[in-house]
Amino acid sequence: MKFTTVALSNLRRNPVRSIITGLSLAVSAATLCVVLSLDKGYSSAVTDELVNKTGVHLYITKEGCPIEAASVIAQGGLSPLYVSEEIVEHVNETGLFEAIMPFKLFAITTDDGTRTDIFMGVTESVKSVKPQWVYEKGGWFTCDSSVILGAEMARIEQLDIGDKMYSEHFGKEFTVSGILERNYSQDDGTFFIPLKTAQSLVNSEGKLSAIALKLKDISTIDESKIQLRAMMPGDYYVLGSKELSDGILQFFSSTRVIMLVMVIVAFLISGFGIVNTMLMAVLERRKEIAYLKCIGAGGNDLLKLISLESISICISGSAAGTILGSILSPVFGNIMRGFLVAYIPTGNIAQPNLVIALTAFSGCTIIGFVCSLYPSLRASQIIPMEVLRND
Amino acid sequence: MTDKAAIILDKVCKYYHRGSETVHAVQNVSLTINNGEYVAIVGHSGSGKTTLLNLMGCLDRPSKGDVSITGNRTANRSEKELTEIRKNSIGFIFQQFFLIPTLTVLQNVQLPALFAKNPQDKKAADYLQMVGLGKRLKHLPSQLSGGEMQRVAIARSLINDPPILLADEPTGNLDSHNAETIMNLFEKLNNQGKTIVVVTHNRDLVKRCSRAVHIEDGNIKEN
Repeated sequence: MKFTTVALSNLRRNPVRSIITGLSLAVSAATLCVVLSLDKGYSSAVTDELVNKTGVHLYITKEGCPIEAASVIAQGGLSPLYVSEEIVEHVNETGLFEAIMPFKLFAITTDDGTRTDIFMGVTESVKSVKPQWVYEKGGWFTCDSSVILGAEMARIEQLDIGDKMYSEHFGKEFTVSGILERNYSQDDGTFFIPLKTAQSLVNSEGKLSAIALKLKDISTIDESKIQLRAMMPGDYYVLGSKELSDGILQFFSSTRVIMLVMVIVAFLISGFGIVNTMLMAVLERRKEIAYLKCIGAGGNDLLKLISLESISICISGSAAGTILGSILSPVFGNIMRGFLVAYIPTGNIAQPNLVIALTAFSGCTIIGFVCSLYPSLRASQIIPMEVLRND
Repeated sequence: MTDKAAIILDKVCKYYHRGSETVHAVQNVSLTINNGEYVAIVGHSGSGKTTLLNLMGCLDRPSKGDVSITGNRTANRSEKELTEIRKNSIGFIFQQFFLIPTLTVLQNVQLPALFAKNPQDKKAADYLQMVGLGKRLKHLPSQLSGGEMQRVAIARSLINDPPILLADEPTGNLDSHNAETIMNLFEKLNNQGKTIVVVTHNRDLVKRCSRAVHIEDGNIKEN
């Protein structure tokens, strides 16, 4: 017989309590797993999409900090910052770029604040820098009042090719010329309209949100950046894709803090749960522990026995939680996709992996074990005579 | 101190406090129990019998005096050292058996060997065979009668092969038939050379002992 046999048999005395304690740790492990998966997944997806997958290597925007520039590029809004359209010609003259995509991006919120529509004014160069741009139906703009709908907008508005769409905000009617295939990015929720139309809608003729650039030779990115900066007016900013993704991820940092707080709260709850449960288990068995000491159990034996009981709960709870968290992460990723305000990447927002699973599992097991030390010590320090005399 | 002494109590006193009251449980008791003796400790409830047994079992420390177990003085020993003495030299049998309810009969008997880091799987089965429970190794304590549980407790007390057995009211919870079985077992163990000290109210059990120590108000009245 081994200590583990005794420890596991002790857990069977009150299986409901053991399971509930394990579940509290499972919740912590699952929370940690989901949070780490979302954190890693979102960062990877944003970086992958903006740095690795997109054809865009550089952005030109009005000078400001990278976060502000990222805000303009990613979300729109009604930023006062703008890039003059004349710059496009100068950039073209450098001959460094395979594609130049000027765009106007803005978000319009309804008066009651319940809905925000994102409009993006684009030129045909958009196809060169958005590899995921695939039509499900229809095609490119047929007139100034054409609109290409992201997949989600087409679903919400229940519109098809040739249907009319009226914008109360602008008092303008659009005709649907194309519907994009769903690509699980911000494109799904965007109305794409001709650049000139977009500029006129917000009285910004000749003004752009930014210019996206695709280099002919990616190895010349640093030199190109320097060259562009030299030719731009002093208040213009040349932003690399990496800086843009970093800027977007800065938006995510507040969400990250909230998620971290959730993890800490979950850990505290399950930690106190373990202390409480094991302490109750020890106090209920004081007399039995005293008699175990009578038949030769030393303090270390009892420390080992109670710790093994705790570790068994911690391991099973953490393992269950880690598996559950890994399975649920994509579900939470999809839920989170609906609430992201900064940028919605195409890829999976939640990316559980082995390292995350091991971190969640070992973190919860260690915390559970540390929390069980006090009850184990209490058990090991029971003086048989005190218990036998008083009980 | 003699080589043949299993237990020596030398002017042992035990006081403890219960609220503001000081209880003189054992007063200046000197007693020698030799190897192979079968001794009954008798007396009224509250006379100090169990306290005396606990002092012999190193479960309690004397307020004054010293206790020697198989030649080892116990005064000033650490709790760890006392645990070692208990583990190697003493087997305990309690009135309420105190078997672990979730362990099988065999596992309960193996428990002290586990604490002694000396697994005795075969020996545990042999002892259970000896106490007549060879066919109930896999049963849980809840599936046994009181007499059977006490026999398991006796087998458990023997597993580390201690020279001394201390029993506190071992027949207290048993009917006469089961009590008889237990008394026969004690006799058998004593014949095999075990030193047995029994705290009891059972006159039949006392009659079978080689010596009876009568305690009254913490003093030995008759030896």
